[in-house]
Amino acid sequence: MRIIIGQYLPADSWIHKLDPRAKLIALILLIATTFVIGNLYTMIGLLVFTIILVQSSKIPLSRFIKGIESLVFLLFFTVIFQMLFNKNGTLLFSTDLNLTWLNLGIIVILIVGYNLVKKMIKRRFIFFLATVALMVYSLTFDMGGLIKVFNISIYTDAVKFASFLVTRILILVSLSSLLTLTTKPTELNNGLESVLKPFKLIKVPTEEISMMISIALRFIPTLLDEANKIIKAQASRGVDFKEGTLRQKIVQIIALLIPMFIISFKRADDLANAMEARSYFPGKPRSKLVDFKFRFVDYAVLTFAIALIPSVILLAI
Amino acid sequence: MGIKFKNVNYKYPGIGESLFALTDVSLSIEPKGEFIAIVGHTGSGKSTLIQHMNALLIPNSGDIDVFGNIVKKGEKLTPIRKRVGMVFQFPEYQLFEETVEKDIMFGPLNFGLSKEEAREKAKDVIKVVGLDESYLSRSPFNLSGGEMRRVAIAGILAMEPEILVLDEPTVGLDPQGQKSIMDLFLSLHKKFNKTIILVTHNMDVVSEYANRVIVMKKSKLVFDGLPVDLFGDDELLQSYDLDIPKLMKIMRSINSEFNSKLNDTVFNLDDVVSELKKL
Repeated sequence: MRIIIGQYLPADSWIHKLDPRAKLIALILLIATTFVIGNLYTMIGLLVFTIILVQSSKIPLSRFIKGIESLVFLLFFTVIFQMLFNKNGTLLFSTDLNLTWLNLGIIVILIVGYNLVKKMIKRRFIFFLATVALMVYSLTFDMGGLIKVFNISIYTDAVKFASFLVTRILILVSLSSLLTLTTKPTELNNGLESVLKPFKLIKVPTEEISMMISIALRFIPTLLDEANKIIKAQASRGVDFKEGTLRQKIVQIIALLIPMFIISFKRADDLANAMEARSYFPGKPRSKLVDFKFRFVDYAVLTFAIALIPSVILLAI
Repeated sequence: MGIKFKNVNYKYPGIGESLFALTDVSLSIEPKGEFIAIVGHTGSGKSTLIQHMNALLIPNSGDIDVFGNIVKKGEKLTPIRKRVGMVFQFPEYQLFEETVEKDIMFGPLNFGLSKEEAREKAKDVIKVVGLDESYLSRSPFNLSGGEMRRVAIAGILAMEPEILVLDEPTVGLDPQGQKSIMDLFLSLHKKFNKTIILVTHNMDVVSEYANRVIVMKKSKLVFDGLPVDLFGDDELLQSYDLDIPKLMKIMRSINSEFNSKLNDTVFNLDDVVSELKKL
């Protein structure tokens, strides 16, 4: 599994020791800041700041890169869309692409080749980029049997805006990974509960919501385990989960989903009984195992995060 | 030849140096007439071992040959799964169809039988597991736990596997249900001469049913032989942390109480009676 969210990584850093409420509010403010910022250079400044934060969290950089890797296709298409459709600013680069029958053949071969070898390759995205680059490169040659000519032109604004968006996405992903990597799920949940407390005034059941979230987090590994067992049991009944036509795929998914539903309901029932046996009543006040106290660092972080938005707005003027 | 393991090693994928789940396991199992019990502590590699027999796990090194098919990455594994049927712990969780009949037909259909043939199979096997035909049209989710388990087992039997592998088939059933499920396997073994492989923690089951015992300890196969040889050797039992069957315990306390020297390696009531007559 490559899900980075919800993976706490213990380490001894000041970010780990931060009060979860302060961390949560600061994160929300920082995210809001990325949407206030209007120009590329301030954004890059914020990215540098984020990288410094990441470094000071003592969490290996590879964990963050893993989180970004799963988003790499989104980044890729952001860039492509900007390059193709943003035609403002001055012309930077222009070329003609010739789609010919021969080129089409080469592209088909490249796609087939990509699909054949992709299972053996670890850094799949780099391989994907290389394949796309090869496809585009092959298009610059006119090899006879012309079908259509495309004009590709890239403008300065496209480059600017693309890097702006990519920087913003990088900041968002790193910050949210930073939060989940440095905060235990239970702490995070308690923090969320406190942050949501004002909504209790308008009758939002915040405690129940946070209880639901923590139960959901708790059961992800358990249910994955169960899913694995069901997959194996159905595989020994002749289901080949790797192959099959669309029709067979649907049957395979049903053969997995229905048992999963039944197991989940059964587990939910057991859990509800266990909670009731320990006198859990929704809506009734509950005491906490750990009471969080704001320290100086927490106040400092909060003040800094709050001050960030107005200063960014001032910078823009 | 049935199942053959040669120097099989397996390690679960994981971060860093995870422990081996199977270390240098070699064994061979006949396609007919064996009733094998696999025993050992939790985490000793029993479940890992039997999942290799069904090609659900692929060994890291070593060879596994199941009815002439090699268990290897990239090979077709479904033929192996047809010939070696696997009943998991709590098999009732694999039920998913609307009717019992459809669920039993699921396996045979996957292995290429026609609908009519599969329907015939369902009619046959529902009787084999001790339920009647009226169950076929019922929903599998309205049955009792024991009945659900029988239906799930019927779903495996309908594939007509030559070897049946069972992972603690009696867990979670009441004593009566346990006995009748075990008797079902025994009758399959006797009637069709099928080889049955069974993972269990219950030494009474081993002594009563098995004609061969395999002991796993810390990912290694440490004993492979007759139940008499295992239970007759106290030192062996102690080193494997295994208990003796109840009947043997009774005979031992009789011996110590009456200062008698009866044979205490007895596995069934008839033997107990004939020993007691010597008193």
